[in-house]
Amino acid sequence: MNQFVLQQGKSAELLLFPQILEVGIKKIGSIQLNAFSTTTTDGLRIYYIIEGRFEWRINHQTYIYYPGDVALILPGTPFGSDNGVLEIGSFTWIQLSLHRLDNGQIQPGKWSGLSETETAAIGKTLLLNSMPVLSRFNEVGKILKCIHAELFGNEVGYQASINHQLDELLIQVARKMTKQSHANRDFPKTFMHLEEVLRQDLAHQWTVEEMAALVGMGTTLFTERVKSYSGFSPINYLINIRISEAIKLLKRPEISVTDIALDTGFYSSQHFSTTFKKLTGYRPSEFRKNHLRNK
Amino acid sequence: MKCIITIELGTNGVRVFAFNLSGRVIGSMKGYFPTFHTEPDHSEQDPEQIFITTLYVLKNLLNEFIHPKKYEVACICFSASMHSVLAVDKNGNPLGNAITWADNRAKKEAQELRYSELGKKLYAATGTPIHPMSPVVKIAWMKNRDKERFRLASKFLSIKSYIIHQLTGEYNIDYSLASATGLLNIHTVAWEADALQYAGITSTRLPDVVPVFTSAGKLKKAYQQSLRLPSGTKILLGSSDGCLATLGDGVKGVGKATITIEDSGAVRVMGPTVLKDEQMRFFNYLLTDDCYVSGGPTNNGGNILEWFSRQFGEFTNPFDMENSLQQLIEEASKVPRGSDGLLFLPYLLGERAPIWNANARGMYFGLNIKHERKHFIRATIEGILYEIYSIGKTLGEQRNIKSLSVNGSFGTIPFCTQMIADMFNKPVRVRQQYHSVSFGAYLLSATEMGIYKSLDEAAQTVELPDVFKPNKQHHAVYADYFSIYEKLSIKLADEFEAISSLQQKYAVTDAPVKKSKTGSKSR
Repeated sequence: MNQFVLQQGKSAELLLFPQILEVGIKKIGSIQLNAFSTTTTDGLRIYYIIEGRFEWRINHQTYIYYPGDVALILPGTPFGSDNGVLEIGSFTWIQLSLHRLDNGQIQPGKWSGLSETETAAIGKTLLLNSMPVLSRFNEVGKILKCIHAELFGNEVGYQASINHQLDELLIQVARKMTKQSHANRDFPKTFMHLEEVLRQDLAHQWTVEEMAALVGMGTTLFTERVKSYSGFSPINYLINIRISEAIKLLKRPEISVTDIALDTGFYSSQHFSTTFKKLTGYRPSEFRKNHLRNK
Repeated sequence: MKCIITIELGTNGVRVFAFNLSGRVIGSMKGYFPTFHTEPDHSEQDPEQIFITTLYVLKNLLNEFIHPKKYEVACICFSASMHSVLAVDKNGNPLGNAITWADNRAKKEAQELRYSELGKKLYAATGTPIHPMSPVVKIAWMKNRDKERFRLASKFLSIKSYIIHQLTGEYNIDYSLASATGLLNIHTVAWEADALQYAGITSTRLPDVVPVFTSAGKLKKAYQQSLRLPSGTKILLGSSDGCLATLGDGVKGVGKATITIEDSGAVRVMGPTVLKDEQMRFFNYLLTDDCYVSGGPTNNGGNILEWFSRQFGEFTNPFDMENSLQQLIEEASKVPRGSDGLLFLPYLLGERAPIWNANARGMYFGLNIKHERKHFIRATIEGILYEIYSIGKTLGEQRNIKSLSVNGSFGTIPFCTQMIADMFNKPVRVRQQYHSVSFGAYLLSATEMGIYKSLDEAAQTVELPDVFKPNKQHHAVYADYFSIYEKLSIKLADEFEAISSLQQKYAVTDAPVKKSKTGSKSR
């Protein structure tokens, strides 16, 4: 397809798609200066490289892109190249407008067919993982090609089809991000990463869904893998870490039992005391007394 | 009905088994605990997490298999990984994490000691090879480099000693774990004065050394209640994983050796005398007054094939390592023995026995244009097992090995077991679905209870029904290639040194690991 640019507010083709801020293909035959200067926008920008090699800066960091790679630029992130240079090659891109919620989460608008929980999970994935290069990601090229064809073809059902493709684009990007950070091979390493994140915020009321999303797995597979690897369900494994940390804190006299309970993620000192006693046979205060005594 | 419970404190977690008195497994459960690598050479575990995980798994096992069927727990017997060090203060509370066998922080101390006169003397007296794994050099490291912890330490324990102290309040260490500290004179069975002096401690800072059959005290009341066990439940100190795997395979007796290959591996023999070695290649650990478990350990076992699988394996389902390994084995079986002349040195993690070279590195050798991916797979497996054979061969210089047994998840893969039989040219016995360490702990407990008169008698009852017979022609092929393998492993010493120092020189250091927030938070 030849190069083109459609922009919201200027191009009639986008009238039915207010969520698409910009879409296009660019082919560069000779090096151009001042053609790609750094900009910051409110939209989510997705660039797919067709040919050539590009050196771009995202958030002041330089990244190199090859054919098949995707550059992902989150809303509000500066993006461009040094001196606005555009190297020889071609790429295609889209810029999507997303809603920003009060809690900082981003999510697609009413055009999307995604459910609320899916939307939330995808929004969280985009924000949590800073991953400006998604490599060998041909699916994005295919989806964008499809959107271009629908935009110019105007065949029956093209509006629904494009909205559907946009959802697919977000889904693929989110999946790719978690898969790229967790290679789906090394469960011990993935589990170690999870363990680290849990320990950093033990006070948080973690759910299985959140833990699974953190390592890019579905909850069913996640629960099964954790169980077979650790011998515990995810929640019981978490209780394990909580009690071990609590024991360490109980051995230091300066922190109150209530504070320990809340710091290690129990709802209340009562909840802490019950769980602790069930496992160790001691109430936390008794345990503390025993261990602070000289022997 | 009475039962025996065994608790194995391993590298990656705890395994609890319940046996009936005739040695049949009633139930088993496991629980994982992590190893932290806060610095490149460090390998630590959280003693409180180990304790809680142990308690949790034991409680679950009792509630699922033991209490509902009204079994009476006659005995709880412990086994543990060797070489761990945990410093505790005067109240018995840990000063930081436990340092595991895999920790290399004391490599400088070990290097200096190994090539000194004192080193040779300590090796002969204690039976523990001079290596960063050895607690004696770890404690010396602490004395030199972690002075505050060293000063505050009232005792230096093993992980097992700590767990048992939590349960009963007593400080003990059994012969076998003590003899893996590098601090125990295995001939006089007392803490070795020269070793204590080198480590900068007195024997009062170590737990009491007692036989493996010693009762480790009474379970504290709170644990009697939470576990629903009677006050008289016997807590048996037990032994180390290496010694018990050897006993569990029934290796007591002349001409027998056992091969363990899990992530790492070892070849072991058991007998009334120690193996003496000028080159200090073997360990000699004490099981009882008149029984030593001797042999050589390797760093590179099943973990190397897992490495291969992570890099080059097929993963049809996410994280399905088992399936990926199975496919690799299938592909390897389609390649002729000897991998059409492709050799692999498996030293990805450096090596202990027989070359004892931390700087050793891996290599594929003999590549030609016809080699395919599948050749690499088979060569990788063959390389891991050539190394096992290499340890066995050096052992064979001192002991006449007639029959072998194999245990461990990697070694008992039939493809690997057959390869071992062919390489050694000896029959190899295994029992599938079998856990040698825990069964060894069962045999120990049953002997203590009088079910067997002696460990000899207990070991003789072990039956390993599956026999892999060697094939002479296959042996000849492996023997031809092994001669090159062996030469390479020695010849490359200088290049190993050079490449590993370059690897260090040009290493891109990882971002520092974030420390846990809990614990430092002030309110």
